[in-house]
Amino acid sequence: MIKRIFLFAVLCFLTASAQSTNLKPFTANTPTPPLKLTDLQGKSHDLNDYKGKVVLVQFWATYCGPCRKEMPSMNKMMKKMGNVPFKILAVDMGETKEEVTRFVNEVKPEFSILMDESGKSIADWRVFAAPSNFIIDPQGKIRYTLFGGVEWDSDELIAKLKALAKP
Amino acid sequence: MNFRILLTALTLFVFIGAASVNPVLAKEVKTIEAGDTEIDVRIFPAKGNILLLGFPCDEGKSLAEEKTASSLAEDGIEVWMPDLLSGFMLPKVRSSLSQISTESLVAIINEATKTGKKVYLIASGPDTELILRGASHWESNEENIALSGAVLMFPRLFKDSPVPGEMPKYQDAVGKTRLPILLLEGERTPNRWGLNTLSHELEKNGSKVKSKVIPNVRGYFFKRKDANRSEDVVTSQMAGLIKVSLFYLEEKESND
Repeated sequence: MIKRIFLFAVLCFLTASAQSTNLKPFTANTPTPPLKLTDLQGKSHDLNDYKGKVVLVQFWATYCGPCRKEMPSMNKMMKKMGNVPFKILAVDMGETKEEVTRFVNEVKPEFSILMDESGKSIADWRVFAAPSNFIIDPQGKIRYTLFGGVEWDSDELIAKLKALAKP
Repeated sequence: MNFRILLTALTLFVFIGAASVNPVLAKEVKTIEAGDTEIDVRIFPAKGNILLLGFPCDEGKSLAEEKTASSLAEDGIEVWMPDLLSGFMLPKVRSSLSQISTESLVAIINEATKTGKKVYLIASGPDTELILRGASHWESNEENIALSGAVLMFPRLFKDSPVPGEMPKYQDAVGKTRLPILLLEGERTPNRWGLNTLSHELEKNGSKVKSKVIPNVRGYFFKRKDANRSEDVVTSQMAGLIKVSLFYLEEKESND
């Protein structure tokens, strides 16, 4: 009986580990869509300006439970990336500045929150659910995608992102 | 123990028990034979010429849906609510939908058309697949009376979780019917951004599709335990929302 419980626990652990690194290689033969939006402070961000860095582009919304839950781990992730050139661009999906500001004051993300009230980038990037994540390599190419909430500061994920930054 | 306390406790127990039982508002229950299965259909009769056939798949216990149906019936729209899950003895989980036979859906539609009223179909969430499947099979027999349209509330018709950066794959039933369709989606759900794509897919066999976004509500708001004020208000106005949806579909019909 104890052996069975142990095996079950190992299985649960392995399943959880697999989910935490569930980055899906991006195989579509399509160019990276444009992304040019302003952040909450009104500063303009163009994805092209971040060439040379690994970029996490995330599409999220304040009403999305997993988005809210994973944001603290994204703050930790930035610290764990250390000196690796890395940027997070978190695109809010069509909400108002007022709604997003309220959320940001509560959850306190330490990365750039971009506003897309028209939803144009959501269509350009073919986003149909939240959170939808894209990992962009230093050459500006989408390398991985990930749907759903994860613990972004897991060692496995950090290792994968750091590997992308290597020349 | 004091007899009075015991009596009070017993009375309280009976009252709480009675209050927790969902009241059945349907005026009539009709049993439809569909192959080896019998499906109970709650009927909210009305004298008007419109019949709204819902596929709630909700074990017949959704109070919000029953209240809405009663309200519609008061306004002359007859409502039929077949309890498909109980008919097939299936649990209330998404995977049960694929086990509901197309034959049973067609049998229910057939009974509804026998009333001579204009039949509209309605469902929400993943249950919308049943509407599309039933309607396309119904239409495949050209002798069948044409259905008037369908209202898909917060349709959840992805085959799998959508992969970021890729076009989503939809259930096989999507794009097979010619029914005029009205899509309703909440503003505060990522699914609103997929409305255009879904509309195009639904139009593939000739359906005319229109979509409306309901401001300040999330998907499934009328089934949420944590509903906010906007969601409570829209839930209380659900009958009105459905009547407006039928109006849009009728308008579409008269323009054709």
